[in-house]
Amino acid sequence: MSSTPIRVTVNGAEREVEVAPNTTLLDFLRDRLQLTGTKECCDLGECGACTVLLDGRAVNSCLMLAVEGDAREVTTIEGLSENGRPNALQDAFLAKGAVQCGFCIPGQVMAARYLLSRNPHPTLAEVREGLSGNLCRCGGYVQICEAVLAASEAGT
Amino acid sequence: MQPFAYARPATLADAFALLDEHGPDACLLAGGTDVVVGLRNRTLRPEMVIDLKQVAELQPAISEEGSWLTITATTALAGIDEDQRIHARFPALIEAAATVGSAQIRNRATLTGNICHASPAADTAPALLAYGARVNVASARGTRRVDLDEFFVGPGKTVLQRGELVTAIDLPIAAERRGAAFARITRRRGVDLATISICCVVESAGRTVLAYGAVGPRPFMVADESGLLADPAARDGAKDEVLRQLLTKASPISDVRGSREYREAMLLVMSRRALRASLERLRAA
Amino acid sequence: MIGTSQPRAGGLARVTGRQQFIADINLDHTLHVKLVHLDCGHARIVAIDTAAASEVYGVVAILTAADLPQPVPRFGPVHDDRPILAVGETKYHGQPVAAVAAETKEAAEAAAELVRVEYEALPGVYTVAAALDPDAPLVLEPGLRPDDPLRHSNVLRELNYGWGDVEAAKADLVVENSYAFPMVTHFAIEPHAFIAAPDDGGVVIWTATQNPFQTQRIIARVLGLPLARVRVIAPDPGGAFGGKQHPKYEPLVALLALRTGRPVRLLLTLEETFQEVRRTSCEIHVRTGFQADGTISFQDIQSDFLLGAYADVAERVITKANYLACGPYRVPDARITVRALLSHTTPSTAFRGFGTPQVSWAHESQLDDAARRLGLDRVDIRLRNLARKGEAFVPGDTPCDGDWAESVRKAAGAIEWGSPIAAGRGRGLAVAIKASATTGASYSIVRLHWDGSATVLAGTSDMGQGARTVLAQVAAHELGIPIDSIKVVMGDTAAVPFDLQTSASRSTVFMGQAVARACRDINAQLRQMAADLGLVANVSVVELLRARFSEVRGEVIGVGSYRSEHQPGHPLGGSPSFYEFSCTASEVEVDEGTGEILLVRHVTVADVGKALNPQHVEMQDEGAAVMGLGHTLMEHILLDDSGRIRNLGALDYRIPTTKDLPLEMLALVVENADGPGPYGSKGAGEGGLMATAPAVASAVTEATGVVIRDLPLTPERVWRAIQSRDL
Repeated sequence: MSSTPIRVTVNGAEREVEVAPNTTLLDFLRDRLQLTGTKECCDLGECGACTVLLDGRAVNSCLMLAVEGDAREVTTIEGLSENGRPNALQDAFLAKGAVQCGFCIPGQVMAARYLLSRNPHPTLAEVREGLSGNLCRCGGYVQICEAVLAASEAGT
Repeated sequence: MQPFAYARPATLADAFALLDEHGPDACLLAGGTDVVVGLRNRTLRPEMVIDLKQVAELQPAISEEGSWLTITATTALAGIDEDQRIHARFPALIEAAATVGSAQIRNRATLTGNICHASPAADTAPALLAYGARVNVASARGTRRVDLDEFFVGPGKTVLQRGELVTAIDLPIAAERRGAAFARITRRRGVDLATISICCVVESAGRTVLAYGAVGPRPFMVADESGLLADPAARDGAKDEVLRQLLTKASPISDVRGSREYREAMLLVMSRRALRASLERLRAA
Repeated sequence: MIGTSQPRAGGLARVTGRQQFIADINLDHTLHVKLVHLDCGHARIVAIDTAAASEVYGVVAILTAADLPQPVPRFGPVHDDRPILAVGETKYHGQPVAAVAAETKEAAEAAAELVRVEYEALPGVYTVAAALDPDAPLVLEPGLRPDDPLRHSNVLRELNYGWGDVEAAKADLVVENSYAFPMVTHFAIEPHAFIAAPDDGGVVIWTATQNPFQTQRIIARVLGLPLARVRVIAPDPGGAFGGKQHPKYEPLVALLALRTGRPVRLLLTLEETFQEVRRTSCEIHVRTGFQADGTISFQDIQSDFLLGAYADVAERVITKANYLACGPYRVPDARITVRALLSHTTPSTAFRGFGTPQVSWAHESQLDDAARRLGLDRVDIRLRNLARKGEAFVPGDTPCDGDWAESVRKAAGAIEWGSPIAAGRGRGLAVAIKASATTGASYSIVRLHWDGSATVLAGTSDMGQGARTVLAQVAAHELGIPIDSIKVVMGDTAAVPFDLQTSASRSTVFMGQAVARACRDINAQLRQMAADLGLVANVSVVELLRARFSEVRGEVIGVGSYRSEHQPGHPLGGSPSFYEFSCTASEVEVDEGTGEILLVRHVTVADVGKALNPQHVEMQDEGAAVMGLGHTLMEHILLDDSGRIRNLGALDYRIPTTKDLPLEMLALVVENADGPGPYGSKGAGEGGLMATAPAVASAVTEATGVVIRDLPLTPERVWRAIQSRDL
């Protein structure tokens, strides 16, 4: 089946590409753009490992077709750091010991980024609610939530 | 995922034309949180996926006209949570929508999709039923309005005919005071499918509506017209009698989320709680 | 350096998305592999027709058992019982019967769907009772164990441990109960993934394994290659928990790479990963005798552990866990009888705690039952029976190596044991003990470069526990150089020296000592070098290196090893190097109307000897506790009548989320520097989940008066128990 042309902005760079409609945004990012920071796990929207921002809103990229990204702006984990330097939220994840195996962490960071963009000063309960779509089997939730609160206090 | 073609019609007319052209091989796409899973699992094998998100007639997302509030088909659940009119008038719908998946899901999943998927456990269904929602159905051959209670046929089945789509859901704006509450039982506190869900609306005139999900082949509602449930002076035992009578309409099954016995018991437990919360809110209103 | 919370090595790459996991590796001209499996638990394969599938554009190879060397090679960590692809029968839901390799993943998927398998569904063994039924079908072909007297049954092995004379033991109270522990799965967020490519007359495999050297050994044997021609590259796993400890599909992808002459990659879905690994479920029947003051007189334990279709390492799980089935207590007379049963289910394997959560569920619940009947405090009864330091609580074996009572007192204090508690709430406290690594060997090479920086070569896998950080701390401390100037290289059998495996919380002790010894080897060489050069004793390392390597450069190479040898006749092959002791205390609130449990406060205390990196220890212990809450409250694999997993996938197999956390969590440690690891450390990281279930269940009992002996404590199960109470 023929490909569909789209114009999508990824991490600030506009791209005109042709994608097959049966390609998820997740596969497009990982396989086509080699932006492998966005992770694949459950393919159901249950784990949050594939979380990216779409026009500033957190979405599961496994539940979106790449063609739906046409005329939209996508931000992935690679788009948060500047010149490979972590931003303050990522620094907070490091400082609070929120990273264990790290596989869920890009998704957690993106969900946290979205949460703080909507609610710059969340309570612990709000952080737990906001990150409840991101599974961490290492069980680092306490530190992840602490990191988000710390980043909030730091005003990111 | 099998290959398919993708179209993003700009008007309803274009969408109808595509629907008619591809017939059973067409698949409508709004939020995609159910559709994309189906495509990947190959339970959906369309030739044509019709993305409704650019259809001009489906904007604005939420509007008020006369005594109706209208939510269009492409309105995401997050959009509902962000609307102050809905917060003020349909707080139990806000509560219900907040339980659908994660923030990521609610940024994509639509209210209409939640209804059209016709899962018996659809969380927004009890709230929409209890608030008296109606569904706007349209096709190339015209439009029709269906009470939500008539819309569901069974698991995954609605009254939608080939060539038809839902353009919007209308909610009647009540003039009188009411108290409403949504409640559910899940296997864990985090994001989960409901073992049972319930919405209760108590009107100041004394009528109480209760709507349920996950306890029958389709969400359903019942009403107490006697005023007993809404009567603050009525004894708990008397209320339980009325509730038990109303709940005979439920026909829960056993599945991985819970047994029939547990669901039956929780129907009463959660009905009492939702009723109590609704009455408190009515009093506070 | 030691005892400080150094930031996680590799943390930056993980928060920026640059950490490369298996699925992130892209080799040119790679073929994509998709497996074909049947929708039932046990079936006879009648015929496999690959004609339609091979017509799919892009398909390069389709393998079935018939295409493999005959007899089809079998492998496993202990028994060579698992075939590369199903032979004649599928023995569990999800066992692959064919593998398709194609140019794109879409083509592989489309072709896999077109592989026509004609099969006859057969009755299967899915429960303990079914496995013990004399008329049950045999899971393992008797011909695969011709000399085993048990070959005509589904009993893989029967174990008998014990001491004293249970029949003659006197008791004022005998508590007799049965406990069940469900099948649960690891659910590492990284699904299992494998890549293989032909390489210089051999093969190179990328796999997120905890055990690159065993993988190398097994592939070398299956393919008939020398070890040196099999290179296993093991990038840091995205969570493992025992699920990535032993080879699964590595032999298949290696074979496919050699057959096609191209790189191949197999990324399992999460569902396929669930079908690949699980924890061993069990039913434990216990009679425990007590004196009126709560002293344990005897333990009489009969257990049935339900393994899957292949032994994997589950037999070892059962052997080790049941060796300590009486817990960390002084038990004068003990009899432990255990059967390891095969079934037509997902092969069970290593899983954090290695059988200890199962046995502690029984021994701890028994103590609570006795305390209630004897009118004793549940903490007191534990303190009365806990082994004291130096006491050989398993006669003849490694004695108690910690102040275990200190952990209990600490946990009791943190949960405010004995203070008034609100109605509807309850507290519980439980302990658990795990036998750590017994035999084994770890080697390390440390290269001190001429500029004073160092490369540490260690075969450990850093799967989230932070081994990379801790080993760097050890090297920094020993060499006296900044941690920033140390690089720890892991996970490549062609680059790092042998390590048995990353399991049993052994790495800090075994590899930690190997690294420390390699550094000390360097220090000895440096001292000699300084003497040879006639330099004063207090010259700095960098000055010394500059003086020695000024012209042609060079480096100082240190080698270290730590071995624990096989002890013939020992039931475990060797004595435990240390015990991992842990205490959990929990306060819960129960909604009696719905059966829902709210965790108000949850405390773990781990006896770690010495916390080399306190933050890492806390992360591991809290993480383990959260995982323990999974099997305690919500996790269980449900099977239907034909052995299919009913809750396959993330939608209906529930693990804890942020909202399922206790309102308050505490992870505490006891540090008495009494471990065999560097600086008195012991292994850590499993303890936090070993006693979760009995602690929470005990709290639920105090809150409601109901006793539950099956897991998980789902709202429905708690509600049912409350209904029975109220009858």
